[in-house]
Amino acid sequence: MRGLIPVLVVFLAVSGAAEAQVRTVEVRAPRAFGYVLGDLVRAQADIVVDAGFTLQRASLPQAGPLAYWLDLRDLRVEESVAGDARRVRIFLTYQNFYAALDARALEIPGFAVTFESASAHGATTTTAQVPAWQFTISPLREVVPPARENPADYMRPDGRVAAVDVQPLWWRAGGCAALALLAFGALARDRAWGPFRARRGRPFGAALASLRRLARSPDADAAYGDALRALHRGLDATDGRRVLADDLPGFLARHPAYRPDAAGLRDLLAASRLAFFGPGPAAARAALPWPQLEALARRLAAAERAA
Amino acid sequence: MNETRSGDAMLTDWREAAGRFERAVGGAVVGQARAIRLLTIAIFARGHVLLEGDVGVGKTTLLRAVARALGGAYERVEGTVDMMPTDLIYHTYLAEDGRPRVEPGPVLRRAEDLSIFFFNEINRARPQVHALLLRLMAERSLTAFNREYHFPNLQVFADRNRVEREETFELPAAARDRFLMEIGMEAPRDAESRRALVFDPRFHDTDTLIAGIDAEVLDHAAIPGIARAIQHGIQASPAIETYVVGLWEALVRPGSAGIRLPGIDMEALVQGGASPRGVAFLVRAAKVRAWLEGREWLVPEDIRAVFPEVMAHRVFLEPVYEMRRATLVPELCRAVFDTVPAP
Repeated sequence: MRGLIPVLVVFLAVSGAAEAQVRTVEVRAPRAFGYVLGDLVRAQADIVVDAGFTLQRASLPQAGPLAYWLDLRDLRVEESVAGDARRVRIFLTYQNFYAALDARALEIPGFAVTFESASAHGATTTTAQVPAWQFTISPLREVVPPARENPADYMRPDGRVAAVDVQPLWWRAGGCAALALLAFGALARDRAWGPFRARRGRPFGAALASLRRLARSPDADAAYGDALRALHRGLDATDGRRVLADDLPGFLARHPAYRPDAAGLRDLLAASRLAFFGPGPAAARAALPWPQLEALARRLAAAERAA
Repeated sequence: MNETRSGDAMLTDWREAAGRFERAVGGAVVGQARAIRLLTIAIFARGHVLLEGDVGVGKTTLLRAVARALGGAYERVEGTVDMMPTDLIYHTYLAEDGRPRVEPGPVLRRAEDLSIFFFNEINRARPQVHALLLRLMAERSLTAFNREYHFPNLQVFADRNRVEREETFELPAAARDRFLMEIGMEAPRDAESRRALVFDPRFHDTDTLIAGIDAEVLDHAAIPGIARAIQHGIQASPAIETYVVGLWEALVRPGSAGIRLPGIDMEALVQGGASPRGVAFLVRAAKVRAWLEGREWLVPEDIRAVFPEVMAHRVFLEPVYEMRRATLVPELCRAVFDTVPAP
């Protein structure tokens, strides 16, 4: 701010104790002329007050329109110590909207700020009056321009816009799309959508395989029990719950693919009851002999593949 | 009873009698086939029953109908907040000659012939009364007037409405454990029964309705013997024993059995309960069901049919989940049956 020149300096007369509290008020601006329509007009008000006085920020002017041609755009305050006094520096940024036809001086209005000194016995306030100050503005164009034939010639030519290279944007868009796809893939995996849906195994196929293995077992009764168990596990895995004999109608309603084998399944569950809970495997084998059991398992595995 | 007939034939005869009993009760209490079947099972398993349900769904009517069809001496008390155990045992009054008299109360009045003791609104009675009932249910005996009374045929039926909570006393866990079943009753769902219940004047007068039931379809004095015969006659295979133990384990420790319920910490869900007595009751009731279905051996369906009523009230949940008991325990039971392999 060394380039600032004082526009107005007010030294207060040291006439009474009350006035002595504000020592000087000085308004500085970078220049006082050479402004045109729309320019920001910067100024700085330096106020030196006695030590102990602090600025009441509420007394500062509010940013906003001051007159039809003048806006206060911004206001900032710095406080520092200057010897035995206290310096308050207010940075003001105005904007000028005056469309001048000739060079003329305009006055920016002054304002008052309040300082306060608080002590145990009470508070003392004092006011510093920041004075109004003038600056000169200039017109943007001639008052009477030379005559042109084509009125469009009064207009300035359009500015030229630099061509933007879109290649990096494409690259970026492609990268984001790839990331989005990846994220969607992760979501689909988490939610088991589409291809991530867990493929149901083929429980009856597995049961048929273990039946073929059991067919070679020497202990026929134990093998029969294991075969029934394998088919039970097949039913359970197909339905996602334990299927008891009484649940068969519900099972067939949920899995229509096995409806043609309803009679076979009924025999199977009846045989399982006989084998595990009733007279024993021998009675069950009489009710549902091994070849029929294996044929049923084959049909169930086939129905499962078709489903 | 005919001595020359074999035990099997006797069981068959009694099965037919049980069918007649169910039909007799079902004629008066419509749309409650499941509750009637469970009560029949309880009668032949010699177990006490607690009925629970809304107001006016027919809990009392059902129990009165069962009491009439079963025959035998029948006593009934209403639970109230000021009822004391002594009110059940004796009754004091001033006689016409101005002298005080002490006479046996509802429990002792019919002495050892008492076959059904019906406790209405049991949760309105105080814990002191529950304590007396505890012994009556567990040991079928009572000490009063310096002697011991035995009630060999006694069966306690109680009902409880689940709507009100004010001025009621929750049954202690020990008392609940002594009930064979807690049967939840709901109003019938099918339109036919509902129409009949509302519009058929037959159902409006309970006394006439009950009086219309054939009395003493069953010989109540013979039931304890039959119950013993059923328990000996119905076989439980090793597979079913494994199954029941598996169910028990899964019910008490659902987390380690691989049961998951949404939003529930399975390790902390079940606090305890499911006593050995409870599981023994379960098998007893399941055997009766197998007998009613005409089988001589237990199948998993028998266990499943009686499991919620026999086991659900014996499971004690962590206090956090206790408020949601009505939904959690049925879900848990279903999950247990979906998880434990039958054969």
